[in-house]
Amino acid sequence: MTNVRIFGYCDPLSARMGEPVDFMISAEGADEAKIDLVRLVHGDFNPEGPGFIEEVIESDLPSVLPVRRQYTQNGSFARVVDDNGQLSPQSAFTIHAFIWPSTPGGERQTIMGSWSVNSSKGYALGINPDGKLEFWVGDGKSVDQITSDAPLVPKVWVMVAASFDPVTGEACLRQISVQNSWNSHIGLVAPFDHNSHVVETLRVQPVASGVDFILAGAHENNPERGDFVSTLYNGKIDRCGIVKRALTSEDMEQISVGTAPPLPLAYWDTTFGFEDTGIGDTIQDTGPHGLHAKGVNRPVRAMTGWNWRGREDSFRLDPSQYGGVAFHDDALTDCKWEPNITWIPPSSMKSGVYALRVSVGEKVDRIPVIIRPEKPRAKIAVQMSTFTYLAYANERLSFEAQIAQAITAHTPVISADDIEYNKLEEFGLSTYDHHSDGAGVCYTSWKRPIINLRPGYRMAGMNFPWALPADLSLLWWLEHAGYDYDLITDHDVHREGKAAMEPYKTILNVTHPEYYSEKMLDATEGYLVGGGRVMYLGGNGYYWVTHPCPDDPACVEVRKLDVGSRAWQAEAGEGYLATSGERSGLWRSRGRAPQKLVGLGFTTEGMDRSEAFERMPDSFHKRAAWIFEGIGAEELIGDFGLALGGAAGVELDRYDLALGTPPHTLLVAASSGHTDNYPLVSEEISYAFPGRGGTQDPQVRGDMIYFTTPNDGAVFAAGSIAWSQALPCKGGDNNVGTVMRNLLNAFVKDGSLPGSAYTGEEKHWR
Amino acid sequence: MTDKVYYKVGRRPWEVKGHPDGHASRQRSRIPFTNRHWLKWRDVHNPKTLQRERVLVDKKPLWWSIGLSLLLVITPFLPNSLISVASIFCIYAAINILWTLIVGTAGIFSLATLAVVGMSGYIAAAANVYLGVPWPFMLLIGPAVGLAAGAILAAPSTRLDGLYYALLTMGVAEICRVFVSQLRALTPTGGAITQVDSFIPEDWFLQRPGLLLGFGGAFLLLLGALLVWRLVNSERLGMILRAAKTSREDEAFSEAVGIDFRRARLLVFLISSAALGVVGAFYAMYYRSISPTIFSLDQLLLLFAMMVIGGLGRAEGAVVGAAIVILIDKGLIELGPLRIILVAAIMLLVTIFAREGFTGSRDQFRDFRKRKAGERRAHRTEKGGEAMPEEATEILDKQELYYRRFNKRLRERLKLMVTPELIEEHRVNPLGHHSDALARILNYFRRGEMADKYVIMRLKNGEERFRIMAVSGIKGMPPRIVDDREYDALYDAYHAVFLLRINDLLES
Repeated sequence: MTNVRIFGYCDPLSARMGEPVDFMISAEGADEAKIDLVRLVHGDFNPEGPGFIEEVIESDLPSVLPVRRQYTQNGSFARVVDDNGQLSPQSAFTIHAFIWPSTPGGERQTIMGSWSVNSSKGYALGINPDGKLEFWVGDGKSVDQITSDAPLVPKVWVMVAASFDPVTGEACLRQISVQNSWNSHIGLVAPFDHNSHVVETLRVQPVASGVDFILAGAHENNPERGDFVSTLYNGKIDRCGIVKRALTSEDMEQISVGTAPPLPLAYWDTTFGFEDTGIGDTIQDTGPHGLHAKGVNRPVRAMTGWNWRGREDSFRLDPSQYGGVAFHDDALTDCKWEPNITWIPPSSMKSGVYALRVSVGEKVDRIPVIIRPEKPRAKIAVQMSTFTYLAYANERLSFEAQIAQAITAHTPVISADDIEYNKLEEFGLSTYDHHSDGAGVCYTSWKRPIINLRPGYRMAGMNFPWALPADLSLLWWLEHAGYDYDLITDHDVHREGKAAMEPYKTILNVTHPEYYSEKMLDATEGYLVGGGRVMYLGGNGYYWVTHPCPDDPACVEVRKLDVGSRAWQAEAGEGYLATSGERSGLWRSRGRAPQKLVGLGFTTEGMDRSEAFERMPDSFHKRAAWIFEGIGAEELIGDFGLALGGAAGVELDRYDLALGTPPHTLLVAASSGHTDNYPLVSEEISYAFPGRGGTQDPQVRGDMIYFTTPNDGAVFAAGSIAWSQALPCKGGDNNVGTVMRNLLNAFVKDGSLPGSAYTGEEKHWR
Repeated sequence: MTDKVYYKVGRRPWEVKGHPDGHASRQRSRIPFTNRHWLKWRDVHNPKTLQRERVLVDKKPLWWSIGLSLLLVITPFLPNSLISVASIFCIYAAINILWTLIVGTAGIFSLATLAVVGMSGYIAAAANVYLGVPWPFMLLIGPAVGLAAGAILAAPSTRLDGLYYALLTMGVAEICRVFVSQLRALTPTGGAITQVDSFIPEDWFLQRPGLLLGFGGAFLLLLGALLVWRLVNSERLGMILRAAKTSREDEAFSEAVGIDFRRARLLVFLISSAALGVVGAFYAMYYRSISPTIFSLDQLLLLFAMMVIGGLGRAEGAVVGAAIVILIDKGLIELGPLRIILVAAIMLLVTIFAREGFTGSRDQFRDFRKRKAGERRAHRTEKGGEAMPEEATEILDKQELYYRRFNKRLRERLKLMVTPELIEEHRVNPLGHHSDALARILNYFRRGEMADKYVIMRLKNGEERFRIMAVSGIKGMPPRIVDDREYDALYDAYHAVFLLRINDLLES
């Protein structure tokens, strides 16, 4: 039996009806696949809920589709298209760069060059398997090289240069230390000598490679796969270039103190092109031919350069210290597969989450796509958290993070698909993972198969659905309870701002709206000020400063720094987003704590069990009492749920006046009784002392709050990821649902809200 | 458990190392017509000091130069008899090196080495004596004959297996011996050709200048053989054969991966045979005669002894072996037949105690030391316990050493908390509120390192069937299945993992 594999993705991940959606499919062991279209109704097989439900949709798509294997280029690099061979000098030349290699040794890496791995033609500067700098040339028959003396030390800046004179055959390879107290992983007290100066006569003259000039890789070809880039480089490269003469020692020393060489053939000035709003993918050649290097798989820009001195912590203060461009051999932001089929969702359909179901025999893959109506139809909109979906895309915590089991307090429950994705290592990483050199992953995109977007997928670490599959519980319940809704996404709100929200009477947040952009915060704030009503039904929302790439919304960027529950921590000085120029990290560190918008903010997380909410005294105030219509005074709200058996759990948010919760907020319910596997989050801890777990710390809880905003607007917030996953229990008719119905019935109505008349000063007899 | 003894570790290096200045320009020169440097100097950062040091990675060229120069310098001061011992050593070392190429590099087990030398010697000598060809041309006739003989011998080498081929080639040598000793023209001299012209003038023969000249020639011959060795082994040809070495049993495989293994073997065989032809011609000139003893079995066995004593497959083995055997056989001639016993005894000892002859003894010693160290360490260090100073020298991240100490002590405390009641508490409720003892134990388990950490595998999506696996902790390497037990409730699987971990804890 042949081993069949099918993977696919779509672009865009969410579309309006009438807008085309491309589906990209790769299959091994089959040349055709059956396809049909399904609407995803419920995403988990938990027997306490309605089960896994999908609904086949009539469409004009063919039922069988030819498929083939499509290959994925992993690794980031930058390509200079050199059709005229301008970068293959026939006379003497010098190539030079500043480098900060992160994994020298092991496998050969190419830093820069015009080199064809197959034909052994051209020249390149790279790192040999011994971890030493090497310059090599090839004439198609043999290869000759000159190797540096000094071994490269990981994560230390050096200036490197190689000159070659074809008349004498003399090659010179220099490595000049530019390490200072700030720029490198280790300090000056480590007695390394990073300098080297070797001169040698080579026996081979390079001939034109006939392939592109590449930074951080070299060209290779395979008859099956075609052209690709291999011998990828891990680490940073700062200003680099080619000069059409053999530079002298003094010339090289001049470069190493920061003087750009005169009359370059090409000079990739990595500090050129910074704007207040960041920098793009193209590394500009400021030389005479303008041979720009186009980044592939998002080399990371806005990183500290060789001359960084720590005083400036952003490229906005001094771009000249931010020439570092980080390359990773396992970066992936775009599979670049050919579309197999394009689907235009008709306007007759219901807004919802759909999927292209692709099957070969037993093997099935579902490629989800979120469909939004052409024009708003319903009074309710659910804002699908596409930023969060991307941030967690293909996370591997259960396989790679030592602390994962301690955080979740679970033994992971993995599936065959997890093993397959992990083994293939082909579809990229999440912002919770690390690159092979230990750097955190800051870019993630939907242009790749994403396992944890699949309906029915459970996140291995905690054995319940996460993000999109979990959010389907909310959609199932809305449908069950008879509410019409439209779907919008984070991307829509980011792009269109308040206009995407305004047509709706109320906007619902899904389980985990964790990744937010400034535009999304502004839109939400503007919507609320204008009388909008937000139901914040998630945990740990509005948390990370996130921004999509201006030229490609499929790809979003986040940098994790300083505080917060962070899977990694950006290196010093590398906390600003290249895509927007703003400081990343937590929104609360930038004066926009989520409490200021929706009254709640992240306080604890745990994954062993969830608890119920209990009414607090404020829930009996007539301004909010209507929310609890039909619920007993001491009734436990949500002592059930698909996520660990309760409505309050997983990640929980708390009311805090100190962090900007509006002072008129009513704390209407709270959870209690959490285990010590729910510790207080790190951003709340200024001094560490024992007893910050659920059984001892009163700040470990989930809150439910209500407050009104101008123009009859309001916020209801139940700060718990588990909330929406409690809705489908007991056939969908339960007290969590009762709270939701009371709210929705009121929020969809125009005019003043129930209870809004009770504004008087209290005059109690009791 | 015996009381721990903390031995001091640390060693002064004896090796001479350079202390290069990175700012100084260094011109690297190469061996002419090659990409190679004269000596393989490499800079490293000393892990103890982080200072840069220049070390000679491959010291063989150094030892070769010292050895050969000593031979060249000392020989002229030796008595006559020892000069000829030195010359014979050079000749035999040359033969041995070429034979090593055939056996070691090409992997053809030919015993016709001396037969090729003899044939070339005979024909070159005959051409000189009977046809009046001047002696310098003997050095062309020799390799021509060697090449022809090689071509003939090569033909069956790919058809016959090792042992049969060895017997066949031995037969060839014997046929040659019988043939020349029965040649009527040579009967008066007992099968020998005498009066061969030579590069040594006739009146110098067996005189000191003649001996010295003979030694000079033999020394050059040895250098020539070494050059052939180097060229074959370090160029494409030898590299092909080395690449194929792992799959010598399976030539088809080598060919499938694009290595023309047979052709390379035959080419090496032919090159070596031609070179042996040169030795043959030289041999006849050096002695000014050639006799059937060259084909005799005892000569062959002597050569075999050299190879065994020195170590198969390496040039230094061929030379050291030749030196030992020639010194005994020719240098201790007064000992009489006893010296043959001595050679045999040494050969026996070497085969019993050394894995790869004298020159392999260094690696053998290192392996031995490593094994001993492993044994002692296993004895001295308890499983999962603290690292001893010697082990600490091998651990780069010193924090690891502290973790070991900490975790060991933590485990000792946790072990005391394991009770049947605690296990029952977990069985009833693997997730949620736990007693302090259970929470502490679980937290220790969950924080464990990634390698071999237990996970639960859901056998089929949507079904409650589970199995226990352990992740590799290595990117891209899939987890392994721990056992074949299946659980149909997740809580049972959680508890099974817990029991496995309790077991690991109590065993440590």
